Amino acid sequence: MSHQLGRLVSQILQRYFGEIVEKVGNDLFMYGIKPIGMIMKTTGLPRTQVIESLRTLLKFDLAKFESTSGNVDYKLLPDNVLVLIRYPRYLLQMKSKYGTEAELIVEELLQRAACSATLLLVSIANKYKDDTEKNLTIVTLKDTFISLATATYIQQAPVAQLKDGSDIPDLVQVASIVPDLDTRLLMQAMVNPADIKDNVYWKVNYDRFHQDFTDEIMINAMTRRIDDDAGEVMRLLIQEMYLSSSAWAEESNVVALTDLREHASRLKDRPLLQQHLEHYLKVMEENGAGFIRRAGDAGGGQYSVQVKWAARQLVESVLDHVVTERLGSKAARIFRLIRAKKYIEEEDIQKNAMLPNKECKQLTYKLLEEHFVSVQPMRKSQQVSGTQKGIYLYHVKLFDVVHVCREMCYRALHNLSRARSQLVSVHARALDKQRRVRTIVHGMRLRSEPQKNIDDVLETLTPPEVSLLAQVEKQLKQLSAAELELDRNLFILNWYLVYP
Amino acid sequence: MSGRGRGRGTNSTLTHEQMQALGIARGDNAQQVLAPPPLFPKLDTKPLPLICDAATSYMVIVKDQFIEYLHESPAYVKASKETDGIERYSDKYKLLALDANKERILDCIWTNFPPELRPQAGRARSAARKRKLDDPNEMERRLKVLEKKETQEHTTEVTDTGETSKKDDIDEDIEDEEEHEDEIDDGTDYANNYFDNGEDYEDEDDNLDDDPVY
Repeated sequence: MSHQLGRLVSQILQRYFGEIVEKVGNDLFMYGIKPIGMIMKTTGLPRTQVIESLRTLLKFDLAKFESTSGNVDYKLLPDNVLVLIRYPRYLLQMKSKYGTEAELIVEELLQRAACSATLLLVSIANKYKDDTEKNLTIVTLKDTFISLATATYIQQAPVAQLKDGSDIPDLVQVASIVPDLDTRLLMQAMVNPADIKDNVYWKVNYDRFHQDFTDEIMINAMTRRIDDDAGEVMRLLIQEMYLSSSAWAEESNVVALTDLREHASRLKDRPLLQQHLEHYLKVMEENGAGFIRRAGDAGGGQYSVQVKWAARQLVESVLDHVVTERLGSKAARIFRLIRAKKYIEEEDIQKNAMLPNKECKQLTYKLLEEHFVSVQPMRKSQQVSGTQKGIYLYHVKLFDVVHVCREMCYRALHNLSRARSQLVSVHARALDKQRRVRTIVHGMRLRSEPQKNIDDVLETLTPPEVSLLAQVEKQLKQLSAAELELDRNLFILNWYLVYP
Repeated sequence: MSGRGRGRGTNSTLTHEQMQALGIARGDNAQQVLAPPPLFPKLDTKPLPLICDAATSYMVIVKDQFIEYLHESPAYVKASKETDGIERYSDKYKLLALDANKERILDCIWTNFPPELRPQAGRARSAARKRKLDDPNEMERRLKVLEKKETQEHTTEVTDTGETSKKDDIDEDIEDEEEHEDEIDDGTDYANNYFDNGEDYEDEDDNLDDDPVY
């Protein structure tokens, strides 16, 4: 709930939903909980617009409402606003893991926020009916939907329950039941979508995606640190972990070696892994940044995955990276030293960091100034005299540093977004012209008009304009890519903060 | 004042040793900078290049598509535009486009929404507000009644029992109408009479001062 977060949230809302929603969202962010009347008063917007904005916010789960004695108060959910930038990553995940159908389903569901299964499948099928390239059928869509629901990538939306005596609904989360969709009924619904009477609503389960991301990060870490086979072992361990442990457990339940061997023997393309499974486990335990731990010796060995520790290791490496890029490798050395020694005096830093005295001090103070390290003053016994030097112990409060780093990410994201809108507004005229030319050309191609005419239209964009537009496009793409990259960092930081 | 004895003689707050301990030697002081720091300070190190692979460009495209979809959808709340009073040829087309967008409302699961946000709320009330006078027959009848009343007032005020009953009927009718009108107007809370003349104030408290009853 920081200032930077507020700026970022309002910037995102403005970009996605326009200025009025931004005003309402920002107002809710600043004051916490508010009823409609108060929002109207502080924002000065007419009631209809406030209502429309609140509808948008509630629909996309960016806000929630609470009812207290007949009044309805609204509250913004900033974390869900930040999730908006992560949507492309979800889609990429779907596309690479489950293919185009899954991607289309998730995309449509994200756009509609909540939708019944029948309507969702029917509208996708109708949209791509003429698309021979994708070759979609309602049957494959249905199967994909069911497999997504089974894997809990999508879940049922909360259901409204009316308390007696009030007409304000209470939203209750229900357990998802995998639907049993009838293909024949779906075919019928495709013909006339108007009379669909499915009132079980579904929505995307962000948490499941986040689990996928954490797994992937851990597997990649192992792959990079040791080799592909070690990554495969990690994958097996994580698979086993989900069978027996809760989703966000700090440490998984133990996995027996025999189970792992059984799974490994099914991987025909990895003969090395089958031969040396125990060696791999040994190496990962000793040299795998503590991602796994040997928990017992029964049955040839039992292993558990240290998820919380893994998150900590990853966050530390992110912070190292940030310090290196901001203040240089020497500062990063001091940062690592302080972290390794837990509490350390200034003189000892100079001795251990092997840097010239003055430079070392300068860098230490720089780190202190940017809040990467903290200092704890200690006073020697009761004597309070001016000449006596106090002892200052430097240390790293990881939790605080993660927060500092998160603020930096928020600020950077905000700046990127601002830079983007600035760029767009400066070149608005050229971009608009390009869009218009494109639509005209597209129309002409559809009508299969002669190439000469199309070229004539294309030539209305002068060469300097074309080069300018190419440059702007490149810059916009770079800004978007940077945004996605920052979001990745933010994800790791938040992952660490999940565990108390 | 005891601290003063030691502090005299030196002007600075720190002793020479302390300054040296902090790494500041004599004559090492930097020039005072009076200009504000630059708005966009130069970076010490160049930032890392961004990864530009197929996955990234896919995500960028998907993101732009999603934002475009939202801008087209009714989720993007637009302000009602004020015109500057100049009629333009292009207005016609702009209005057409606006009208197409105007009637669309967000498709939400309305049962999950508080009643004040549901679209039916507004419409139901306007239907209930249908005025009696909209019906032409009703209007005619009322006009006749009023006319009769007027002529009655001009003539001598003879009061029959029958007449009074009829008059009462008319008055009731008119009162009814007035009441109805009142209902329509009270858009705000100010129309209701919340005035408290203060008579009830501390009525019950009076007994507290008295001796307790045993």
